[in-house]
Formats: sequence, C-alpha cells, structure tokens
Amino acid sequence: MSRSRLRSTAVAGAAMLAVVGLLGACGGAGPAGAARAAGEPVYGGTLTYLEHQPPTCLYLPAAGFYPNGGILNQITDKLTWQNPETLEIEPWIATRWEVSEDATSYTFHLRDGVTFSDGTPLDAEAVAANFDVYGLGDEKLKLPVAEFVNNYERSEVVDRLTVRFHFAKPSPGFLQGTSVIGAGLVSKKTISLPYEEQCQLKNIAGSGPFTVRHQVVDKEVRLAAREDYDWAPPSSEHQGRAYLDEIKIIVTPEDNVRVGALTSGQADFVRYVQAYDEETVKSAGFTIYAEPTRGVNNGLYLRPGNSILKDPDVRQALLAGTDAREVVDTLFTPSYPVATSVLSHLAQGYVDLSPRLAHDPDKANALLDKAGWARGADGVREKDGRKLRLGVFVAGPQPLSKQTLELIGQQWAELGVKLEIRPADAGTQAVDIKDAEKTPLQHSMVGRADQDVIKSHFHSENRDAILSDDEKLDRLLAEQSAEPDVAARNAKVGEIQRYVIDQAYAIPLFEEPQVYGGAPHVHGIAFEAVARPWFYATWKS
Amino acid sequence: MTRYVMFRAGQAVLVLWAAFTAAYVLLRLLPGDSILIKFQNPELGLSPQQIAEIRAHYDGGASALATYLDTLSGFLRGSLGYSIDTGTPVTERLAEALPETAKLASAGFGLAVLIAVAIAFAAASSRSSWIRGALLSVPSLFVSVPVFWLGILLIQVFSFRLGLVPVIGGSAAQQLILPVLTLAVPISAPIAQVLARAVDQVRAQPFVPVVAAKGASRQWILWRHVARNATLPALTMAGLVFGELIAGSVVTETVFGRNGIGRLTEQAVNAQDTPVMLAVVVLAAVVFVLVNLVVDLLYPVLDPRLKAAP
Repeated sequence: MSRSRLRSTAVAGAAMLAVVGLLGACGGAGPAGAARAAGEPVYGGTLTYLEHQPPTCLYLPAAGFYPNGGILNQITDKLTWQNPETLEIEPWIATRWEVSEDATSYTFHLRDGVTFSDGTPLDAEAVAANFDVYGLGDEKLKLPVAEFVNNYERSEVVDRLTVRFHFAKPSPGFLQGTSVIGAGLVSKKTISLPYEEQCQLKNIAGSGPFTVRHQVVDKEVRLAAREDYDWAPPSSEHQGRAYLDEIKIIVTPEDNVRVGALTSGQADFVRYVQAYDEETVKSAGFTIYAEPTRGVNNGLYLRPGNSILKDPDVRQALLAGTDAREVVDTLFTPSYPVATSVLSHLAQGYVDLSPRLAHDPDKANALLDKAGWARGADGVREKDGRKLRLGVFVAGPQPLSKQTLELIGQQWAELGVKLEIRPADAGTQAVDIKDAEKTPLQHSMVGRADQDVIKSHFHSENRDAILSDDEKLDRLLAEQSAEPDVAARNAKVGEIQRYVIDQAYAIPLFEEPQVYGGAPHVHGIAFEAVARPWFYATWKS
Repeated sequence: MTRYVMFRAGQAVLVLWAAFTAAYVLLRLLPGDSILIKFQNPELGLSPQQIAEIRAHYDGGASALATYLDTLSGFLRGSLGYSIDTGTPVTERLAEALPETAKLASAGFGLAVLIAVAIAFAAASSRSSWIRGALLSVPSLFVSVPVFWLGILLIQVFSFRLGLVPVIGGSAAQQLILPVLTLAVPISAPIAQVLARAVDQVRAQPFVPVVAAKGASRQWILWRHVARNATLPALTMAGLVFGELIAGSVVTETVFGRNGIGRLTEQAVNAQDTPVMLAVVVLAAVVFVLVNLVVDLLYPVLDPRLKAAP
C-alpha cells in the first residue's frame, strides 16, 4: 500500500526542499548547514557512490580493505553494533548477551525472524557456523582465520536462537570483535563455500538492508534495498527498509575524475578525496567527511632487527629528528590531526605522549654523534665505513605516502641520514618487507576501534610491523589482550604506548582519516567505528 | 597464393610461441609472486608456513619445465588457467574485458583513420601553403599529447564544465564518446603523417601530369588516382599502430574507469597475477599477428601489381 504514497510524499518533499535550497543559495547561507537542516527524510532514489579501487576478495574477514567494506557493510549485519560516538557495544542481531566473569565464554540471544537474502533463517546454527570459520579457519575450504577473533575454541548451539562461544583464554576483545566489518554474518550456504567462491560477490548472501542486484566485475556494483528488512540496530533512529531504492557503486580510479564528477553533479558521494582536493570540494558547496579510524597512527615503524636500527640511540634520534607537524602543515589539512601518541586520540586506552614526540633536531644530532655516526664528506653520516642509509617502501594504501616520505627524507638529510624511498612494486615488496635488513622502516597504520588494535600492529604473531624480537613487548600485548577488566586493560594499553615510544619503535605522524565527499542533497550518511560508510539511513532531497 | 598464406600462417605460429615463451620466462624471473602478494595481506594473518602450503596447492611443486609444458598445452587447448587474484578462470575475465576494449579500440581506430584522411587530404587540396603547413604540423602536435593528460582535459571541459557528456552513468554510447576521442587523437597522427607524405610522392609521379593533360580536375586526380596509390603505406602504418591502441587503452580505460583489457592488464601487473598477464601477452600477440596478416593480404587487392609477386 504505502509504496505509492511514499513516492508522492517523496516528490512533494523533494520539490519543497529544492525551493528551500534555492532560497538558501540566494541568501548565501552555508550549504553544509542547509544540508543538515533539510527536513523529513524521503524514500526512493539512487545513490551514485564513486569508489577509488575495485573490490578484491569479499570473504568477510578480508573486508577491512575499504572498497570491500563499502559493499559488505550494506549487505551484511553484525551480532552487535558499536556506537561510533561512544564506542559502546549495543544490540543488533543479538538482542542481549552474557559474558562469563573471566571472559572465556560468551552467550548471545538472537533476534527472531531475521533472514538472509537467500531466504534461509539467521539462527543460532548459522551464527555458530560463521564464527567457527572466523575463529578456526577451514583448511579444507582454504578459509583463513579472522584477525579479530583470538583464542577461539568452539561454538555451542544452546537453542534455536541462543549461541555460546568458548575460548581457551580470557578474550575480552571478542565482544567488540562481533561488531567489526569482518564479522558480518552470511548464510550457512555462503560460509560453507571454498575460499575462491566466497571471494566472489555473487555468492555472498547476508541479512543487510541491501542486496546485490547486478555486478560488472571491476567496474560497477548495483545494490537494491531489501523490502522486508526490519532488523536495524535498536539504537538507529530509522527502522524498516532503507530510504534509498538503489546504490550504484562505480569504480573511478582517477582522483580528479571522482572529485569533478561529484562537484558537477554526476555523483552523490565519493571516497578518497585527496588532501589537496578538499578545498575544491568545500568551495563548491559540498561536504567533506573526514572520518577517524581510531587505531594505530600513520607513521614510520622502526625494525630493531636491522643492524643499524638495533641501536636505540639511532631510533631515538630519528624520532626526535622527524617533524610531524611540518608533514601535516605542508601536505595535509586539518582533517589529518598531528599524532600525539602511537594511537589515535579517539582510540581506546589512548594516552597523550605529545611532549615526548616533540621535534628536537639538536637532540637528534647529539644522539647520532654519541652513537658513533660521524658526518662524511657528502653530508651523510658514516660509521666503520658504512653509510647511515635506510630504505622504506612507498605505502600504496596510505594517502600521499611518497610525498610524506620525501619530506621526511629532507628532514633526515639535515641530520645526515639518507632515506631511500622505493616504489611500491608489489612483487619486490612482498619479498623484502619481511626482511629487516632490506626494509628497516615500514610506513603504515591500522584502524580498529578496540584496544586490540595495538596488538594487531605490533605483536610478532599478528601484523608484526616492526618484525619484533622484543619478548617484553609481546608479553605486554598478550596481557592487554587477555585483561577482562576495562580500566586495567586501558592502563595496559597506556603502558604499551609508553614502552613503544621509550624504545622508539615508532615515529607517529598523523591520525589517518578516511576522507569522503558528499553532495549537499545527500543526508543521513553514517559510518561504522572505522569509517566505512553505512547507507541504511541515507536519503536524497 | 596458398603457399604464401601457409608460409605466413607458419610464421605466425612461431611468433606466438616465442611471445608465449618469452613472457613465461620473464614472469617467472620477477621477484615475489602473486600468491605471496595476495596471502601476505596482514589482515589474513597467515604464517609463512601456511603460505607455503597454499603455494604447494597451486603449483603442486612440479619442476619449472613441467609447469611450462603444462601451461603451454593448456593454452593450446584453450584453457588459460585461473586468476590468482580473483580465483576466476582467466578465459572468463578475458571474455568480460575483450568486448569492451574491442568497442573502444575499433571505434578509436575508425575515428583515427577519419581524422588522418581529413588532415592529409585537406592539406593536399589546399592551395595556400600557409594552411597546408599548418595542417601538416597537426600530427606532430597530436603525437606529442600525452593520452593521460588529454583524457583528463576532455573530461574536465566537455563533461564537468560544459556538461555535454556524462562520465558517470550515461548510456553505453555516451560512455564511449570521450574515451574514443582520447584514443583516436594520438593514433591518427602517424597515419596522417604517412598518408600526407605518400600523397606528395604519388603526385610527383609522371602519370599525374598525363591525367591532368587529359583534362582531369585537381579533385578528380586527388581522389581517383592519388588516393588509391597513397593508401598502401598508410595501411602498413595502420597495422603497426595497433600496438599503440593497446598501450593507449591501458591509460584510457583507467582514466575513464572502463573495464577492458587495459584495466585488466594494469590490475594484473599490480597484483603480479601471472596467469592473467601471460594470457594478455598472448592475446595481444595473436591480434597483432592477425592484423598484420590481414594487412599483408590486402596489399594485392589494393595494388594489382603485387598480385603476382610472392
């Protein structure tokens, strides 16, 4: 019944809003302000969303890659919802849960009546099947374990709508783990497919507010609203089906084509607006969304296994000799806050260490002199006939990585340190990145809104950014990860940040955001805690 | 004639085999491989041992020569293997990408020929040496324009400023206009240059004054006599610019976000997706060989003097 009525309301609403918009423009009111106060949401319409890269493998634990997450966040739901404002874990598919005292068992009570897009029910068995794979992997199907589940032992289907998970060790990070992008729930049929098939979008059946309508590989994905969707997180203001009828995700690799298409009205929303394009977007009356990623900051990570960097004085010197403020002021915008610790100031357990990150070239030079590196004829320091030369790869996923490294290279040249910047050739990088001698520095970051993010980045069994041989660091990270008490856990995270800076394993640069641009007629864009867009309550006026 | 065709076909097979083998060897010599690139993704959190197991699953630990022969026989049977990056059969990916590039390249080539003919003959029929000089310097300008820059410029002006053609959305035909133009401009340049020079050479031949003495007009001579004789070198050139069509489509497809062979190549190179790269090289070689074979077989049709020759 309501479809046609909704439509006519939509048209009337749109016409009214157009008038308001015109008046606003005449009066010279700020368009961003006008967009916020745009009135009642309307149903219908297609959102054209331009992506920077094509999606790769869509197996859910690999959803961290933003082009993958931008699709999967629309077509899957999670057990829990992490409120991006408060970072609290709120109900979603699980209406409530119990966690054992020592955080080794979790019981989730599921919402009734939820179905996957292939028609099968989202029940305890399906959830158990999902997490068995995410927690243990599947050798036969070649499915790897997910990064966000640690110490997983087994699942237990208590009844049709109750599922319990057991862990070998206390795992306080698991509750947040059920809310992350990679923990999207898929049907039992999907989760029992081999890796290669779970990689393909056409095989992914989720329970999200949108379903896949059409895909042209590497070019375009069209998502359609699911009419019977009725299980949004209870804390969402909007309930029922999504406002939009359709989302068209189009891969547009060229930066200035994305921005030009947005400002000329050919697209509604774009991902990855470069820092130097932000002003163009804003001055055209469009909105910049710079969303924090709440994790380990964009920075250089120093490998103590390298024969030059094994000397803590050299690492301290590089930390003191790097001017992160200059990097941000020269290359970036206020959307990229200067780092004040290893973690983003919005990360859980963050402590402010800015006094210890101050730029101090005198200290840097003194430390290098003390370490026995003397300036050679060409200005580059030497010791025992060896030049103070360090190599780093340009980081493909990091914004303006090459320019950032070039600027730091200039800062270091004044200290007498030569930074060798290598292009990100995938093959060479894959071989050399795990070799501290060939790659003494890594330029990277990780986003995730949980204390465990620091473990993901530094632990020798996770991403291992510094190719750690530091047993103390591994121990601290493991203790943090197994601490059920939140206050004690945050204190541990603070201790780790201090330790990493004490040891100068990291030169934090800035808090890396995901920067999106949106047209003034697009409203209700939401983001999950690590800046992937959620178009459920999005509407166009 | 049959012997000539047989000879050329044999030559083509040899060229294809050489292209396949050279590409195969070079791709194997590259550092790293797609399995490492794909599975070392830190988000998957695999240990080096697990990666080694995955690799064993892919190549089964066979010797280099055995894998080479296996891949070669696969190509002969039309089975090009699986893309390591996406897990789909390579033939499927080519089948998706090929029609897109075929449309772009054929329309781009057609337009390039039109532009070239227009420039060469406008210059030839012009009586003012100033206009003639200006027209003949256009190809030099065209050939020095970077495709990437031209694409961006056309998008900025015609789509974003003037709003004449949408780049995002729009019908299939609308989506072709700007990429075709981008591709055609640099391709037209060498054809136009060769054609213009050939026109000059043919006009200097003794039969031209004879035809003129019989009362033929300037235009009649140009179109009926000179044009026909001047197409041969231009045709050779057209066969050769095919390589530039492929190179141009890599850039054009990336700028315009089209999913064709060019984009596929770019992605395969980034991910070092060896089976896809190998297939693209062989495909390019096949088309190159075919185009040049067609050009050679067209010579006798255009010029009766060549009929008896080989």
